Amino acid sequence: MIKPLLIAFFALFTVGIVAAQDFEFGKITSEEINMTKYAKDTSAHAVVLNEFGKSRINIGSNDRIVLMYEYHVKIKIFDSKAFEKGTVQIPLYNGSDNDSYEEVSNIQAVTYYRDDNGLLQKSELENKKIYPVKENKHWANYKFALPGLRNGCIIEYKFTIESPYWDRLRSWHMQDDIPKVYSEYEVHIPAFFTFNASIKGYLKLTKNKAEIETKCFESHGAACDCSQLNYGMSDIPAFVEDDYMTSKKNFISSINFELVEFTNPYDGVKHKVTKEWKDLDYTLKTESEFGGQLKRKSLLKDRITPLIAGKTDDLAKAKAIYRYWQKWFKWNDFIGIYSESISKAIDTHSGSIADINLSLVTALGSAGLNAEAVLISTRDNGALNTLYPTLTDFNYVVAKVNIGDQNYMLDASNPLLPFGMLPMKCLNDKGRVFSLDKPSYFVDMSLSQREKSSYMLDVTLQDNGKLKGTLINYSTGYKAFERRAAIKKFNTIDEYVENLNGKLPKWKLLKSEVDNVDSLDMPVIEHYDVEINLYNKLDNSSGLTFSPYYLGKITTNPLKLNERSFPVDMGMASEDRYTITLHLPAQYTVETPPAAVALGLPNNGGKYITQYDAGDNSFSFTYLTQFNKSIYGAEEYPYVKEFFNKIIQSQKAEIVFKKK
Amino acid sequence: MMRGFILGFCLVIVTISVKAQQNYAAGLISKELLPYASSVIRDQSMTVEVKDLDNVVYHFRKVITVLNKNGDEDAHVVIYHNINDIIKSVKGVIYNEFGQQVDKFSESKFDDESVGGSLFDSERVKHYLPPVTSYPYTVAYEYEEKSKQTLVFPDWMPDNDVGVAVENSSYTFICKPDFKIRYKETNLPSNAVITTNAQGQKVYSWHVGNLKALKREPFSPYLRDYASSVKIAPVNFIYYGIGGSFTNWAELGKWYNEKLMANRQALDYATIQHVKDITQGITDSKLKAKKIYEYMQSRTHYISVQVGIGGFQPFPAMEVDKESYGDCKALVNYTQALLKAADIDSYYCIVQAGRDHNVSLLRDFASMDQANHIILCVPFKNDTTWADCTSQTIPFGYLGDFTDDRTVLAITPEGGKLMRTPKYSAEANLESRKADFTINTDGALQGSMTTVFKGVNYENRDNLIKETRDEQTKKEQKRYPINNMEIESLNISQDKSFTPSTTETIMLRARDYATVDDGKYYFLLNPANRETYVPALVRNRVNDVYISRGESEVDEVTYTLPKGYMLEKKRLNINIDKPFGKFTASMELKDDKLTYKRKFQLNGGIYNKDSYQDLIDFFSEIVDADKYSVVLIKAAN
Repeated sequence: MIKPLLIAFFALFTVGIVAAQDFEFGKITSEEINMTKYAKDTSAHAVVLNEFGKSRINIGSNDRIVLMYEYHVKIKIFDSKAFEKGTVQIPLYNGSDNDSYEEVSNIQAVTYYRDDNGLLQKSELENKKIYPVKENKHWANYKFALPGLRNGCIIEYKFTIESPYWDRLRSWHMQDDIPKVYSEYEVHIPAFFTFNASIKGYLKLTKNKAEIETKCFESHGAACDCSQLNYGMSDIPAFVEDDYMTSKKNFISSINFELVEFTNPYDGVKHKVTKEWKDLDYTLKTESEFGGQLKRKSLLKDRITPLIAGKTDDLAKAKAIYRYWQKWFKWNDFIGIYSESISKAIDTHSGSIADINLSLVTALGSAGLNAEAVLISTRDNGALNTLYPTLTDFNYVVAKVNIGDQNYMLDASNPLLPFGMLPMKCLNDKGRVFSLDKPSYFVDMSLSQREKSSYMLDVTLQDNGKLKGTLINYSTGYKAFERRAAIKKFNTIDEYVENLNGKLPKWKLLKSEVDNVDSLDMPVIEHYDVEINLYNKLDNSSGLTFSPYYLGKITTNPLKLNERSFPVDMGMASEDRYTITLHLPAQYTVETPPAAVALGLPNNGGKYITQYDAGDNSFSFTYLTQFNKSIYGAEEYPYVKEFFNKIIQSQKAEIVFKKK
Repeated sequence: MMRGFILGFCLVIVTISVKAQQNYAAGLISKELLPYASSVIRDQSMTVEVKDLDNVVYHFRKVITVLNKNGDEDAHVVIYHNINDIIKSVKGVIYNEFGQQVDKFSESKFDDESVGGSLFDSERVKHYLPPVTSYPYTVAYEYEEKSKQTLVFPDWMPDNDVGVAVENSSYTFICKPDFKIRYKETNLPSNAVITTNAQGQKVYSWHVGNLKALKREPFSPYLRDYASSVKIAPVNFIYYGIGGSFTNWAELGKWYNEKLMANRQALDYATIQHVKDITQGITDSKLKAKKIYEYMQSRTHYISVQVGIGGFQPFPAMEVDKESYGDCKALVNYTQALLKAADIDSYYCIVQAGRDHNVSLLRDFASMDQANHIILCVPFKNDTTWADCTSQTIPFGYLGDFTDDRTVLAITPEGGKLMRTPKYSAEANLESRKADFTINTDGALQGSMTTVFKGVNYENRDNLIKETRDEQTKKEQKRYPINNMEIESLNISQDKSFTPSTTETIMLRARDYATVDDGKYYFLLNPANRETYVPALVRNRVNDVYISRGESEVDEVTYTLPKGYMLEKKRLNINIDKPFGKFTASMELKDDKLTYKRKFQLNGGIYNKDSYQDLIDFFSEIVDADKYSVVLIKAAN
């Protein structure tokens, strides 16, 4: 849901002086203060009455090019549930190693309310009650709380931020968790700079105006006109999040900018930033923190040579390097696509995602393998903007190695990931594959992986009412990775089994064996000798009932809503299979075997099948649930919900045992 | 002077050579300490030296061997500091499995971050996670911190972490002979060793060794009550420039009242007048207080702001009146000021808040660091009333499970006074449900369900009130395990009297509630309140079973069934009676009316660890009973 917005100079009207579009500070109407609820959303705890933002690329106080950002908002607060809107945080970024955070100024904040006698009062924020907090080396916050909040009050505040990061023109969130009467963003871009603009979400702009502001930018003799863009939206509903939603960023209405090119105002040299993928390919290739690091193959030669010594098979070489990398690095929890220096990261055993995976690409290349870097946007970062080429949406990078006609995606930041498997957070939309010598291209990130598990319970009903036998559980694909992670949370397998048994009060895990915990490319296989308390005793009087869905029974539908406007994201395709084989004492027989069930989702989206095989004094029952897609569209929602409903209904059935 | 210096120098040399000889190879750890351990503290020491009432030097040293990835976080070096507690020097060394040095680090490698959550908090944290990926490895580090106050000293609790075993841990407290302390030892194998050192200082020291790793055990008592620990409190102290002394709660309360609370309850004339206006005509002082409390709720909201004297002193009432916000201290102080305007006396009460454990202040040991919250007490004659001032919605007189049933310190003009907050009985913490449903011939469920919440359950629907209708529906659909539940109407009302209750009434319909198959109906007997939790089995449990407070549930559901059916299976009829709880569930069919009755009660208290298996069985039987599926077959005629 990303659409382009046009910014073109020929489409602009020229105006001499552009009138200020911001609304007046300190002015409230009696309708506003007397409002008791918002007619368009009567359950809202607060509503933004007016919101205005302005970004302008300009010459800053110290003669450098800066982005001046002004923000001004007026919010009506109906009740205490929205009082958190009165606590404000202004985040300021610092991209450097020293303490040069963005600067905030002109903070003004005021609350209007009716006092105990019904008189209109206002309470202004004192400067000493603004608290600057340095959060960490990249972020600082200015925090303040509006004074005098009470039900029915109006708060209004504004501030200005001066930022050296003019190339990151601020995006604007039209939509928030409370509704807005009106929101407008005004952007002034000198002709020296060209940006692409796009809008996300399902809502439409009610104002989209472009004008020329003459001679708005002057510095050391260089001057140019600006385009002034105004984006406005009226009656914006609150954004509501749903379960199984990939990222709210994909759906919330916002306007985003991407620098295309700029002309250096002083020497007239044009710098292309974004235009076509080949330009971006060039940018990345020449970027010292990306291509520069991928080129450092010789640096890793000495490290790689012993790893691949004696190996002739490319796959074996790639696996050896991947394993080594997984063991070498401790991920420092930072993500990103740029690495300052892979050698520094290697020396310290510690690195960001970019440090770890870009160095992996370099290392694989250094071994003579065909390796590429894949830029992706993680699930919580949202979908990519595919309207025009851009790098800003990427926040993660993994390695891709091509061997024969196979290719493998690698992320060495997690020591439990098998060769060729990515963590869930990476399975999102598309990835862009970059290498030093070929044009970049997109690959699909969501289709490749599956999770699969199967349980086989083979038990005999004893005269004492207990079931005795074996349980075998296979976890394959991503499921094996998750299982390993669960096992590794314990210091020993024994402690893992103790914990597992702790959660099964009717079970006794008498003997256990867990295979392939450290063979990452193999399924995890768990064998247990089990004893289960099923009945207190074999009661002769009435029929004994038994649920054949003894394992993995679904009793509540995970999908609750009647309808849905967003896709349902299940992460990845999956398959769960359960087989129960039950041997009965000689004098017993099955009176009511379960009916066979076969359900399917449209377009081969999934299936649920049961199978009952009667034996001599025994039976075997299998049920299989398969989801073949990772994402189901909103239009498929009713089918998926009904699929679960039907499964739940069929699993209510019970088998009755009778004495012969 | 000169000699002293040389002596110090010699000491340093000796220490270094001792350290160099110490071998931290992982293989040297006793096998006894390995079970359930992700890491082993080889040696930990905390030394506190009180040089003066406003000058304390802390020296921390820790050597820890990390056995596997789960223990990484145990070796995370985390140092809190602020403008008054200043870190002096940090250095550390990393050893490999064999005890050979592979790396070292100093303060420059640490990240410095704010401690979030508050509008303002001067507390900051420096931290460093050693980037080692081959196990086992050992991290040895030490640092010094300077502090300007002697009111609060950290507790020593050598085994306070799950999954960490301890080879050696020690605590040394050094002070001038005239600096008197009181201390409390809990669960220690041996008492303090008290000596005098070469400088003539008094030295208290404690040591423990060979502690096995703690395991997580559900329903455990509060850690402080069973772990080894030492608490130290001063007699004379200076706290950010304010001097004082105490040896008991009465004296500590007196100091608090005189030094931190004095002159902070003034209000301007208009506010006082307003309080008088709104309470005019109310003669009952409890109703008067309720009116004032509700006014305070409408005027303020909670924001955490840790400015001022070490986070112990409330903002002046005047400031809350103006800003309309404050933390728990400021809001209680403000409420006291408002009450005073109506001539109602009240106490500012210091409490350790928390839902999982009801933690009391130690009656026999007064110290400043045993609490984290402030509540209000209004001592009406024969009717002591309590209130939490940080919520805009709870009723006056209601504490809930955050601060119920525990010993607190009331600050009164006469000094500190230990008091007990009210206890809610199992019967008082009630969730009672009555449902009247019809099962249609197509298997659909339809009808109404009313649930009343009392006691600490009063708040159970607070997150739902005032939500939008759509959100309420969504949340209820998630809460109740009734598939395909469609809500035709939903009403939640609250009675905010002195015995508050919340009532939820839902009219609902759910298609396919019963599966119709081969002429039979299958459906779950317990529609709305199915227990799914069973406490995890624990091998060789160490701790007694602790249930913080009792609760009870009463469900009565009537189903009108399709005509002409009878029950196929054996009827559900369960009755369990244990010291810690009771459960009964039964069903009865009369004509086409099926009635289901369920009662559950858990009794608060401490039970012998041997009863833990009983508790597991208790819950396990409830889970089974709640899964009971009704099977209806056509009656013979």
